[in-house]
Amino acid sequence: MTVRVEFFGIPRQRAGLAMMQIEAGSLGAAVTQIATQFPQLAEECIHADTLHDGYLANVNGLTFTRDPSYPLNDGDTLLILSADVGG
Amino acid sequence: MFGYHGRYLRVDLTTEDVVEVALPADVLQNFIGGVGLGTWLLLNEGQPLSDPLASEAPLIFAFSPLVGSPLTTSAKFAVMAKSPLTQRINDSLSSSSFAIAGKKTGYDAFVIVGAASNPTCLVIEPTGCRFVAADECWGQSSERAADLLREQLGKQFRVASIGVAGENLVRFATVSHEGRHAARGGLGAVMGSKRLKAVAVAGDRTVEYAHPHKLVDYSRELSRKSFGPATAKYRELGTATNLLTFNRLGTLPTRNFQASTFEHAEDLSPEAMLTTHSRTRASCAACTIGCEHLYSDPESPDAAVRIEYENLFALGPLCGVSDPDAVLQASRLCDELGLDTISAGATIAFAMECAERGLIDADHLRFGDAQALHQTLRSIATRQGLGELLSHGTRSASREIGQGSEDFAPHVKGLEIPGYEPRALQTMALGFAVTARGADHNRSGAYQVDFSESVDRLHASPAMIPPAIETENEASLFDSLILCKFLRGVFDDKFMAMAEMLRLTAGWDVSPDELHRTAERIVTAKKVYNIWQGWSPDEDMLPKRFLTEQLPDGTGFGATIDESQLRQLVCEYNRARGWSDEGWIPNNQLKVLQIPIPQDYPSLEGSSSATS
Repeated sequence: MTVRVEFFGIPRQRAGLAMMQIEAGSLGAAVTQIATQFPQLAEECIHADTLHDGYLANVNGLTFTRDPSYPLNDGDTLLILSADVGG
Repeated sequence: MFGYHGRYLRVDLTTEDVVEVALPADVLQNFIGGVGLGTWLLLNEGQPLSDPLASEAPLIFAFSPLVGSPLTTSAKFAVMAKSPLTQRINDSLSSSSFAIAGKKTGYDAFVIVGAASNPTCLVIEPTGCRFVAADECWGQSSERAADLLREQLGKQFRVASIGVAGENLVRFATVSHEGRHAARGGLGAVMGSKRLKAVAVAGDRTVEYAHPHKLVDYSRELSRKSFGPATAKYRELGTATNLLTFNRLGTLPTRNFQASTFEHAEDLSPEAMLTTHSRTRASCAACTIGCEHLYSDPESPDAAVRIEYENLFALGPLCGVSDPDAVLQASRLCDELGLDTISAGATIAFAMECAERGLIDADHLRFGDAQALHQTLRSIATRQGLGELLSHGTRSASREIGQGSEDFAPHVKGLEIPGYEPRALQTMALGFAVTARGADHNRSGAYQVDFSESVDRLHASPAMIPPAIETENEASLFDSLILCKFLRGVFDDKFMAMAEMLRLTAGWDVSPDELHRTAERIVTAKKVYNIWQGWSPDEDMLPKRFLTEQLPDGTGFGATIDESQLRQLVCEYNRARGWSDEGWIPNNQLKVLQIPIPQDYPSLEGSSSATS
């Protein structure tokens, strides 16, 4: 499954880029790959295949999730965000 | 008594009478401080159906048991009054050394009534009050006025003051201190109506804490946690980083809420501005988070401009302005003139739409025109030309303009809607509808629920009600302790942590359950104040635009708010709070919660709309 990943806030700062493409069939698989590619991001935002409490994933701009088993489909867009959005 | 002085100072600017009034221990334990204590004082000092700009209207500065302690982010104070913008309760917070110096005067709050005959600075010290002529400061920005007064009075004084907008009674004028603003609801106009340019405070009266050594240990640990990942976003990028996230999720109000995405969002983002502008960071006194990000303004190189998400959204996308320098200049203008950036941006965006529809004679006013934005900000502060109409806010302006403009005037209870598109954040829509202050993201944190796995943010459901209540209750405690809400991600159990902080400072053995009750009391007391001032159930609703127009873009494409469903959610919210379906509060609940019943409070016993 080809998934487009977009980073926002601190995840973007740590990854050093705004977006990328990966092959992953679930949120956990995607997060694991991201952690491997971006150790600095992993150190702060990821534990194993799960995002830390301060961070959140969103699929296609609609569904928020932290569940590593959440399935990703070909063409999905995965947003990696800071969870706190106080203004 | 630990953590408190146990008294407040009542100052009459007309007669120059000054009285110390004792604060009973049970009142402090029931209402804590800040917004809670300020609400109790308004219920005791106010008048029913009063004019917020009348001389007798009380203006309150309230501190809290945590102010002056080593707890991070605790240097905060609440400014409260009946809002001249909404005609309902208004509680605005500000931060920094005014809070610490204010509490060191030896009082837990100031209640200011009456009106001076000439521009005045009220000077409060432990030795008493002085009424100092402020003619030289009148017409100056709040920052310049503070500088002049500190030169005259001494650098030990900390000054909260108003700008030109407050002097001219603009209904969304701010009270400012060290570049921070108690901004919402027009409390600067209340000061202006009293010809009170500034309040200056200094003192040496400290309070004892119940467990001083353990408090230091706890504070050190809290500061350590505050450096962690939960607050990294605020430290490194500030709240402005919401802009790109909100744009991507279709929750960024654009062109007076006609769209939820802005095509130039990337240009305005802090991520982009960091590559084109120099930036410095700052923090409030006694804060370890340091969320303030100040950017250089090419038009005024000596003056760095604070950029937060709310001023960025309101003066940028909401007005269709895409030039970051233009937004910086507009923000600087708001700071100098003493204007709430949210209400100022929203009011001008509303006027831009009216102008484009031909409802007002203002050909110069078009979305995206930065020069028109700047010009209109100045005219609002001086109430000249179109600025006179707009200086009253969108609700009042739309009533005057008519022609259907009320439908797209972006406010609830008269308070302009902040940067959270309610059609795409429907728990927040409920929060906007019911919160006592009006459309507001600081008194209802319901947006936190929308940005979570808990609900489908595009479709209202009863599942939104309990978390909407919970986040509103939480906010009432944060605002009464007072602590910065950016700490919320640091705590494993917020109510447990708050109980511990109150044990260490005030010495209360209070359980998290009791604090839930306290939160319920404070939220209800604010509603009591509104009922006293003429609240009616139809106020708890959003403008028609959000109920009839579908979002035309973004991930929430097609979303709208079902009016009957929102009414049902408001009804169920009221029931969950123990109120009548319409939102009236049974008298027995006031007794149980120990909320004072103000004079001439409308009796609802026997009314068909009240439950017993």
